[in-house]
Amino acid sequence: MIQQTQYTPTPSKYNFPQSLQDTALPTRFIELSLRSIKNIASQDTTLYQPYETITENAEPSEEITPVFLGQTKLKLNTIPLKPIHEETPIIAIDVSSIKIGETTTGILLAIRGAIVWKNNRHYHYLRIGPFPFHITEENKAEIYQLFRQYSLDTLTPNTTSTPSLIHMQTRITTLLERWLQMNIATQSQNTLILWDGSLTAGTNDSPTHIIAQLLETARNRLNTVLAFTKITRLRLSGHRLTDLIEKCTPPCLLEMDGYPIAPSNTIHFLGNIYVAKLTQGNCSFRLDIDRKLPREQAVEAIQRLIANDQLAESYPETLRLAHIYSTFTANEVIAIQRLLAQTHGIKTITRPNIRRLLFGPFGKGPEGG
Amino acid sequence: MRLYRKEGNTVQILSFPTENVEKGDYLQIEDPKQNRALITQVIDVQFANVPGILEELLRDSTNGENLNGQDFDPLEVSSHVTYIQDARLLICKIRASLDNGKLSATSAWLPSRSQSIIKQLPMSSLLNLIKINHSLPIQLGETKDEASLNIDATALDGKLNIVTGKKETGKSHLSKLLVLSLVSHGAPVVVLDLNGEYAHLGYEADGKKNEYTNRVNVLTPSENFRVILAQMKLRVILNILIHALNLPGTSAREFRRIWQFLDERATLTLHELGEAIRNWRCNQHVRDALFSRYYALVNSGFFTDNPSESLSLEECFQRIRSGGALVINLRDTSLVDRQIVVEYVLGKLIDLLTQQKLKAVFLFAEEAHLYLRETYWDDIVTRMRHFGVFTTFVTNQPDTIRENIYRQADNVFLFNFTNEHDLETVSRAAKVDVETVKSIARDLPSHHCLLLGTAVKDFPIVVRVKALNVQTMGQTRLFFTEKN
Repeated sequence: MIQQTQYTPTPSKYNFPQSLQDTALPTRFIELSLRSIKNIASQDTTLYQPYETITENAEPSEEITPVFLGQTKLKLNTIPLKPIHEETPIIAIDVSSIKIGETTTGILLAIRGAIVWKNNRHYHYLRIGPFPFHITEENKAEIYQLFRQYSLDTLTPNTTSTPSLIHMQTRITTLLERWLQMNIATQSQNTLILWDGSLTAGTNDSPTHIIAQLLETARNRLNTVLAFTKITRLRLSGHRLTDLIEKCTPPCLLEMDGYPIAPSNTIHFLGNIYVAKLTQGNCSFRLDIDRKLPREQAVEAIQRLIANDQLAESYPETLRLAHIYSTFTANEVIAIQRLLAQTHGIKTITRPNIRRLLFGPFGKGPEGG
Repeated sequence: MRLYRKEGNTVQILSFPTENVEKGDYLQIEDPKQNRALITQVIDVQFANVPGILEELLRDSTNGENLNGQDFDPLEVSSHVTYIQDARLLICKIRASLDNGKLSATSAWLPSRSQSIIKQLPMSSLLNLIKINHSLPIQLGETKDEASLNIDATALDGKLNIVTGKKETGKSHLSKLLVLSLVSHGAPVVVLDLNGEYAHLGYEADGKKNEYTNRVNVLTPSENFRVILAQMKLRVILNILIHALNLPGTSAREFRRIWQFLDERATLTLHELGEAIRNWRCNQHVRDALFSRYYALVNSGFFTDNPSESLSLEECFQRIRSGGALVINLRDTSLVDRQIVVEYVLGKLIDLLTQQKLKAVFLFAEEAHLYLRETYWDDIVTRMRHFGVFTTFVTNQPDTIRENIYRQADNVFLFNFTNEHDLETVSRAAKVDVETVKSIARDLPSHHCLLLGTAVKDFPIVVRVKALNVQTMGQTRLFFTEKN
């Protein structure tokens, strides 16, 4: 009850662009990015373009789905939603990375974050990046430590946590996203914060203590974190939950009558898991809401969301824009390659496609596979 | 600029926003290793097919009143993105090859994609390369890079030319420029002037006489241009009767007898002709047919029985033999009368050329379909050309000129056309490929002309036609201007 009273929106001031740019990470980012690229220029001036461009969004490549214990029957609790038309700021965060090419010593990635917020019926965005990074066995620890340092992952021992080169793209993408999420959590108040992904913690990319700390910071400032998973494999007694919600009249949430059990002891679900169908249409999404928030507050948050944001196919426009603004286009990849060629004399060439060479027209699938 | 593709005689070149290349410009693709170069002309400028462009445009199009933002892009990648977004693809046609500094028409070799150096070829350099003869220069105007473009009068000599473009693009202006230039080089010119536009070529814009005043002779039918029947040959009058006045064959045969009868008696006058038809022993229908044509001749006002009112066209031709223009002013003349006059003039012209009394003549025919009979079209490109009639057709309706005229045209002076059908028609000219005509002509500004053919050694060149200080008289009479 006390928390609900506290949740009453108060006018907020938003100055994310300036405050984020002033934070130390972007400066260190630029330095490290430039240093890593100079490192290519001094060694090898040829960049091999990947046959297939791998794009990463900052979410685990494979969703960890819980098993619901205590669910005695195939009956789900449907929560109908009524929009609360009270001005509530909404912020969404998304981060993308892309493999620009390979060198003889490492890989070249570009990373970019986007924050989109809606306030007073207007959408605003801030894009941070793109930052190209040349990651090698020699500098990967330094780059990784920088990302960890700024994304609060300081409790994990340094020596064991540096991932292999092939996992660096996913890791640093997630770490940048965590950094942005933390900045937003600490700088906003009474705001709905939309994440892309889930509130599942305990993976290499999302240590439990970090996600827990992020959610706590958000909670302390009366923010509510809502995490949308675009593609989910949530099932109950073999039935896809997103199929079961189709019979419900939107806007509504589907709540499981049970508690989720993780596939391993290290995995923790820090959010209550719902299936959300917010508009008419074919789509519904897994929605994780901070489980430490009272149920009423969680439901009220989603009711504020449907009243304050545009929704298309149940997906919030703010989060959609964040995704669009962070995603790399093919032209941007060429632009980064051009930047490298112009500033550091690094030439990009396309490696021969081994699959094509060996199997001709049957040589499909990723180059590395 | 980078060489991207070559297919047939079309080359695609990637160009960047800082390189200012437009349609009609010439580019030289140098292959230093082969010591050869291709001379190409840009016929279209397109956006390069940049991957991901649609996503970027869609993303940017969300920017507006309800969405604004900021990029923290310290490495300025966005400037490179914009640069690539604005990359252009130049569609070029190969015009020639340059082997050790010598031009050749072949383009059978392929320049290196990675090593070739592509640069703009200034028009002055191109003109030096193609070596247009300048013994009898006709200055047409300036090219885009302000190089003066002169063609040689000999490039029109013995040639068939077409000046075409939509209304008010400058066709008549160029024709007048060509007429006066030919006159100044001592050539005889006959202008079939449909709208009386050439009548004041001998006067400057402010009304003062100019250097051509005495060399431009304006003949207005029924006014200072009338003829007596005795000046005419039977063949000419028959042509008038058959082709202009549609006299049937049987009646024409009777008319031939009447004409010969009067000719033998040296009584070839309008009056005697009327009397002869009246008294001639023939079928009444034939007599009626002959009478109706007779009155058409009389009513045209072009014929007279008074020798002092008549004009000797032969003398007029003699006057312009060493440089002058005979302007046949067909303004305010009816269709039938126009046909009568043109039949007479062309018939007389052929006579004089056949008798070698005239060496050759440059004929300028404006909107010729309005007075030229069907059979003349083939005549003009074949028989009359051999006699020494070198025709320039001027029209804003290209489909009124027959396809074979386009195919045999030596020079085409092409002004702007936007209509697809018109462009399709003009593109039949054998002197150039369809794409060049369609692409360049569509975007030509007013008073800019695309030159095709012998005059520019088959290197299509865009020229801004120079101004003329003569009374043009081609402007349409306006109602509201007069009021003011």
